[in-house]
Amino acid sequence: MAAVALVDHDTRHRDFDDFVARRREPAALLERRRQALERFESLGIPTPHWESWRFTDVGALAQLQFCRAANIPVDAGVLPSLEAPCQRLVFVNGRFVPGLSRLDALPGKALITTLGQALLTHPELVEAHLDRLPGLEDHPFAALNGAFWEEGAFLYLAPGVVLEQPLHLVFYATGADTVNYPLNLLVLEEGAQATLVEDFRGDGRYLVCPVTEIHVGVGAVLEHHKVQEESLQAWHLGGVRLRQDRDSRVRAHLLSSGGLLARTDLFALLDGEGVECDLNGLTLVGDGQLGDQHIRVEHAKPHGTSRQLFKGVLQGKSRLVFDGLIQVRQDAQKTNASQNNRNLLLSRQALANSNPRLEILADDVKCNHGSSSGFLDPDALFYLRSRGIGESEARAMLVYAFANDSIERITLTPLRQRLEALLTQRLCPAGGERRPS
Amino acid sequence: MLEIKNLHVSVEDREILNGIDLVIRSGEVHAIMGPNGSGKSTLANVIAGRQGYEVTAGEILFQGKNLLVMDPEDRAREGLFLAFQYPVEIPGVNNLYFLKAAVNAVRKHRGEPELDAMEFWDMIHRRMELVKMDESMLKRPVNEGFSGGEKKRNEIFQMAVLEPRFAVLDETDSGLDIDALKVVADGVNALRGAERGFLVITHYQRLLDYIVPDHVHVLVNGRIVRSGDKHLALELEAQGYALYNTEPGRARRASA
Repeated sequence: MAAVALVDHDTRHRDFDDFVARRREPAALLERRRQALERFESLGIPTPHWESWRFTDVGALAQLQFCRAANIPVDAGVLPSLEAPCQRLVFVNGRFVPGLSRLDALPGKALITTLGQALLTHPELVEAHLDRLPGLEDHPFAALNGAFWEEGAFLYLAPGVVLEQPLHLVFYATGADTVNYPLNLLVLEEGAQATLVEDFRGDGRYLVCPVTEIHVGVGAVLEHHKVQEESLQAWHLGGVRLRQDRDSRVRAHLLSSGGLLARTDLFALLDGEGVECDLNGLTLVGDGQLGDQHIRVEHAKPHGTSRQLFKGVLQGKSRLVFDGLIQVRQDAQKTNASQNNRNLLLSRQALANSNPRLEILADDVKCNHGSSSGFLDPDALFYLRSRGIGESEARAMLVYAFANDSIERITLTPLRQRLEALLTQRLCPAGGERRPS
Repeated sequence: MLEIKNLHVSVEDREILNGIDLVIRSGEVHAIMGPNGSGKSTLANVIAGRQGYEVTAGEILFQGKNLLVMDPEDRAREGLFLAFQYPVEIPGVNNLYFLKAAVNAVRKHRGEPELDAMEFWDMIHRRMELVKMDESMLKRPVNEGFSGGEKKRNEIFQMAVLEPRFAVLDETDSGLDIDALKVVADGVNALRGAERGFLVITHYQRLLDYIVPDHVHVLVNGRIVRSGDKHLALELEAQGYALYNTEPGRARRASA
């Protein structure tokens, strides 16, 4: 297929017509795709004049031409592994690769498959949940995903079903100037429980715009991880939207270290009483990278608890953006919400833009937010060095200490160990230093 | 062991030390006393290599080597130790991990093999008894949430673990009650020996009842104005520093 520049309206529409003609999907789905495309056309490519894209300039992206990749075989060795028993779906350049995936026997009433397959076998389940959640309406790249998604994961857990093994979703992309739009749909009915890892990696220059939609039913429990380790030339512009019903519990970890420019917009709607939502973010950016987390947590019902802790470590000439909004609707009394963004700047050329925000319409709530960005404490550094610890190791120890409480919140042990190793490798690229433990 | 020759030090263009001469030999304990702002802590920090101090003249030799060109970690590896007046809290860095990194950095420098977990643990246990340290402190982050006394005890504990050839104690007695002071002094006394030198910096004579010095120096306005034996400390306690025409707070103001 032809390469399409994001700014080129006509080619895009021809491409869209070709794309949907080949897919032969139900009319209702096609209509959703058309609406998403129209939404993209009316939104356009973000510019720094947009409030929500003020610090995240995607102007360079608009100049590039991207095409969907051909089917390229990928060596299993380059894919991230959980090194633990898990259900695993692998997508390469947005397409499902059965040979690299593994689905073991599932408990009854649990369904793990691809979205495309689910459309054939369980169309009513897909139809009932796909594109039904609020959030990301103003996100142009989520709109593109809505128009052009090819494949993604579909998880359905009927009431009371507990998924014992984590579900590992691997998204691998290969450059040269390819684009893919994974779309995942996850449904946890009442009392269901699951652990989910979305793992993004790739090689070369590409654009990936993933969207994950999560329905969390009454009393359901979800441990979610989004791990972004894209290629350093890649653009990752993704979104997560989730809705939590009464007494449900979600812990979501957003771990971001790759990409030339990587942004995740997460919208959590706490739409039932007594909901708990914990968001734990860790972003590592190095020379030339920009990492951006846009978080919106909306408390719609009383007695909800949300906690956000987002940490950033900036090396070299890097940028970090954090934008966090807590919204408390009028009848969401007794809400308890907190938000904290802390950034550690390891270089004078690094820049963090932090924008914590509160919008509170209820009067009986406990909300707090805070933000701080700073350099390593020179007194602590001197203290360590005065005991014989070399400067680079001392710095690594302090950075590790800063980031570690984010990593420690990850209860999925193999993933936590992988991230510990990643952090160490980023801090001591020479590999000569030991890992603090 | 430590030779300070005509040392002049400025902080932000203000001269804090103007011409210190001091020789400390192996096995000796020297005490430096002086009023607030006389430059005592500046001297300690310059010896340990803290940034922000400009040596405008003079030199410091440590075991014959030019100390002032060395990084702080190299000074420590060569056997220098500073017990901080205000030990830093380092959240997230486990005390035990920190100690192991320090011990092995020093051992590596000396060409000794790194200690394995068992050897390290044995060694740590023996030193803990020396300063009556509770094992739970090892599992906490460095100095975080420690009381003033616990922090100072942790300094002496680190000294016992690292076995330096020369240690500077910067107002280790400040903020200690008498029981903690005795524990700290016992720890220091246990480490005294022919191979090791100490420089004990203090404002009060009290500590020197327990760590009895071989020599006492009076530092006033960045200069050693008098030296003597342990009796000088008692004399100072009785008479104060007024005799020496002090201008209190000089160094402290400059460094503030």
